[in-house]
Amino acid sequence: MSNYLFIQSQDPFTETSTSNQYRLAQDLLLAGNTVTVLLVQNGVMPARQKAISKEFDALLNSTVVVIADKFSLQQREISNNELKNNIYVGTLEHAIDALLAGHKVIWN
Amino acid sequence: MKSTNEQTLTFAFMDPPFESERTVTFFRLLDAALDKGANIRVFAYEGAVSLSLSLQKAHGNSIHGRNAEEEDHPLSKDWISSLQHKAASNNLKFEWINCGLCVDERGVTDVIEGCNRGGPPDLWRYASESLNTLTIGTR
Repeated sequence: MSNYLFIQSQDPFTETSTSNQYRLAQDLLLAGNTVTVLLVQNGVMPARQKAISKEFDALLNSTVVVIADKFSLQQREISNNELKNNIYVGTLEHAIDALLAGHKVIWN
Repeated sequence: MKSTNEQTLTFAFMDPPFESERTVTFFRLLDAALDKGANIRVFAYEGAVSLSLSLQKAHGNSIHGRNAEEEDHPLSKDWISSLQHKAASNNLKFEWINCGLCVDERGVTDVIEGCNRGGPPDLWRYASESLNTLTIGTR
């Protein structure tokens, strides 16, 4: 069993590979790993309540931990109360903590 | 703040300056790593070798009537320099190697102090000796 953290900079509206990245996170979880997805840059765009992405919603309905980078949200004027459920707000500190803990950190 | 070899992180980055939001995120990650007491090693390759180009110059914005000082245009060489100073003031190591092949292709030979020339074997060495490595690709 491993610990994975994906730094998710891509969004499903402009990058078709994003849906596969979401699925990989869920598959790794189903295989018994611990998985966190840290949304950064445009990766935070599907986190808005009115954003339509079945693939992202499936990620939220799994037990993958999803964190949205506060800075990226602020840049896009997305407030915390506009976010879908099951999304935590955090910082890049999470990525550094994971690296220092020896987790597998992957940039998407 | 003290750090050991076990707290050294390597970052591999290939984006040029002034073109992608990834560059900002990359520098934010380095800053956060220093805040966590980690030593940092950067292997810059492809366009990222221009991040440390010493000839970078801030410019004004004549359309908006601002001079260079008012425009306060950010330069990646200054961000690197700031991180170097932050690391030194916290007794942390901050190493930076530009891929020599990529430097020669681009003629980016004038770089700021503390950024050195190397090659792909240095990335292997960095990664082998670090606690962890993050590779940030362009896609």
